Amino acid sequence: MKAAGSRRVPGDLSALRLAPAFVLVALLSGVPRAIFGADIEGQVLLSPNRRMPVVNRRYEIVANEGVLSTSPPLAVVYVEGDWPAPEGPPRAEMAQKDMNFLPALLPVQVGTRVEFPNEDEQYHNIFSFSPAKRFDLGRYRKDEKPVPSVVFDRPGMVVLRCDIHEHMRAIILVLATPHFVVTEPDGRFHLGHVPPGRYVVKAWIDSRTTLQRTVEVSEGGTARVDFR
Amino acid sequence: MNAPASARASAFRVQLLVAMMVLVVAVAGLALLFAQHNVAETVRQDFERRFAGEIAAVREVQAIRHEAQAERCRVLARKPRIHAALEDDARDLLYPSARDELGDLLAPNPVAGDAADRQLFEARFYRFLDVTGAVIRPPDATLAGIMAPAEEQRLALRGQPRSVESGFFARTVANGTEVDEVIAMPVVSTETHEVIASLVLGFRQLPARMNDETAIRTGWWIDGHLLFTGYPEAMREAAEKVVAPLVPEAGQSTDGTVVRIGDDSFLSFCELLNPHSGYPPAYLVGLYPLADAQARQRALLWEFVGAGLLLVLGAYGIVRVLSARLSRPVAELAEDSEQERAQRKQAEHALGQTSAELQRSARFSADASHQLKTPVTVLRAGLEELLADNQLAPEIREELSTLVHQTFRLTNVIEDLLLLSRLDAGRLQLDLVPVNLTHLLDGLRDDLDALPDAKELLIESDLPPDLNILGERRYTSLILQNLLENARKYNLPGGRIRMAAREDEEWCVLTIGNTGRPIDPDAQVHIFERFHRGAAGENIPGHGLGLNLARELARLHGGDLVLRTSDQEWTEFEIRFRLAPHEIPRAAS
Repeated sequence: MKAAGSRRVPGDLSALRLAPAFVLVALLSGVPRAIFGADIEGQVLLSPNRRMPVVNRRYEIVANEGVLSTSPPLAVVYVEGDWPAPEGPPRAEMAQKDMNFLPALLPVQVGTRVEFPNEDEQYHNIFSFSPAKRFDLGRYRKDEKPVPSVVFDRPGMVVLRCDIHEHMRAIILVLATPHFVVTEPDGRFHLGHVPPGRYVVKAWIDSRTTLQRTVEVSEGGTARVDFR
Repeated sequence: MNAPASARASAFRVQLLVAMMVLVVAVAGLALLFAQHNVAETVRQDFERRFAGEIAAVREVQAIRHEAQAERCRVLARKPRIHAALEDDARDLLYPSARDELGDLLAPNPVAGDAADRQLFEARFYRFLDVTGAVIRPPDATLAGIMAPAEEQRLALRGQPRSVESGFFARTVANGTEVDEVIAMPVVSTETHEVIASLVLGFRQLPARMNDETAIRTGWWIDGHLLFTGYPEAMREAAEKVVAPLVPEAGQSTDGTVVRIGDDSFLSFCELLNPHSGYPPAYLVGLYPLADAQARQRALLWEFVGAGLLLVLGAYGIVRVLSARLSRPVAELAEDSEQERAQRKQAEHALGQTSAELQRSARFSADASHQLKTPVTVLRAGLEELLADNQLAPEIREELSTLVHQTFRLTNVIEDLLLLSRLDAGRLQLDLVPVNLTHLLDGLRDDLDALPDAKELLIESDLPPDLNILGERRYTSLILQNLLENARKYNLPGGRIRMAAREDEEWCVLTIGNTGRPIDPDAQVHIFERFHRGAAGENIPGHGLGLNLARELARLHGGDLVLRTSDQEWTEFEIRFRLAPHEIPRAAS
């Protein structure tokens, strides 16, 4: 995972001070997964300069000095851990619409089958040369049945391109966790149903930056993690 | 007499002919030279235009081909798969992806005789260079065109190209040498906007044109060798030797230099094909055969020489006719002048003879007069001695007296003859001084009045007072004396004599007229001749010398004597003398 290495030292302990009550509970590792679990919420500090509203998950992947990120900037927050494999492959969808990927940033759990429906009138040819997943769907049109799909079975960042439209770019973050969320444009996020425990929570900000925090969550509680 | 005249006339004709020919040849030569120069200049300019046109065409073809191939590269270098392979850390997919993308580009098997336009865009090979400029070897050479390792190594660059860079490489093939143009196109990352690699495409260059003799011949100067594909090796080697010094420094181009290969001349040009390239410099060499232009120039020169010769020949004919026509009057003139000269010589000869005779006769007259003077004097002395004898009978005395009188007449005649002979011999020099004509005439009139005469003449005079003329008194007097004597002698009894004088500018015009019988009109022209006497003058004393002497003397005075009129009533002579410049002393006083 080229982009997964964190450059920031996770030294911000404010979350621990904010929730001292959960610390003891969270120390119990290997606790059976609760049905309801706990919540983790917080805010990732994103570049305020490029902040703008996002409607219908419309944003795009941009490259800045070789660093890929979304525009407006969004982050993916996920909880690392030794999670069991999903029962029956989960499904996700990344459409091509108006010569763009929709959504352009898609976090999925390992083993997810992602479908790539073409909703444009033009051909698209989705492919990736990323080490995490190499594939080439070839050229296909709208309403192609079955919808071309790919199972992402290795964690890592996969950069998607269209061979026909060189500007099109998308990122699929293949994560070894079912607990992940894309932040709001203001960086706020909320993760629910996390079993109580002590976790490393990571925030993927761009292809080169992933921040991490350690957090303990207790049953029914809400842990707060901010990435600044 | 005729021969020299015609000889000179023909010499003149030849000179005229030569002069006209020189003029015609000079003018025609200059005109032809000028025209030839002009035409040659036009031909040269035309040729240079053609040369420039050919060069431009070759360059344009080269530029179009290069641009088309570069554009091909540019399109390829933007291909997402190639970018993906380079940017997404998938080097192993680089060549396989490129094979897919460039599949239609790479000629599977370059076949001789392929359509030229296909060859133009079909690459023979391609390679990628990494960021350092080193060749990224394809996992399988068949993917990217098979190349010898050394050949492949030539594609490496020092670093990455900033823009399109091209290079030219020669390659030995079965039937000679082929030239590849390689175009290195930077692949710029869409993510970092930095050059992340470069794509090098190799295109086979088409063999140089060789359609006809006059067309420009092009080749390449690569790595110190001239590549002239499609030409005999001997010619290539010869051309390589002469082109070598022309290959300019990097970045320069030359054209218009004339080179000789064997017996043929060529206009050459040499142009750097790949300026600002990391690959070794390669030049496009063009040789434009001058044979055609030189042949045209030569033909033109011969045409002009021929035209010149024809012109000179034609001019010779015309000039010959012209000179003959022009010299004819001159020849006639020469003949005439020849005849005139002969006549003049005769006349001069005759004149000389006459002059000699005249001299002789004048001398004779002088001699005769001198010889006669003495006997007459002796005779008169003898007669006067006889007259002194008182015993002579009165009849004898009368006779003697008449004889003495005759001796006086004889003396007069002798004096006149002597004077005339001196005049004729030109030995009489007058000492001209102012002479008062009025006084002189008054004196002569008194003499006339004093003569015992039976004619009872009336003498009138109309003279201005103190009329001064230039003359020698003695001879002036003689002239007037002779005229007055005639007027008296040929007058009628009781007749009239009139003397009148007037001033006419510088002349004194004096007329002396008398009544009397007219001079016969036929005789009028002869009256001034020597020993001529009027027909009516038999009983009038005279010896026919008076008028002649008077006229000769008048002319010697610078004047003249003419017969003014002679009719039934009146005969008048007019004599002109020069007026003495009497005004000057008068003005001085």
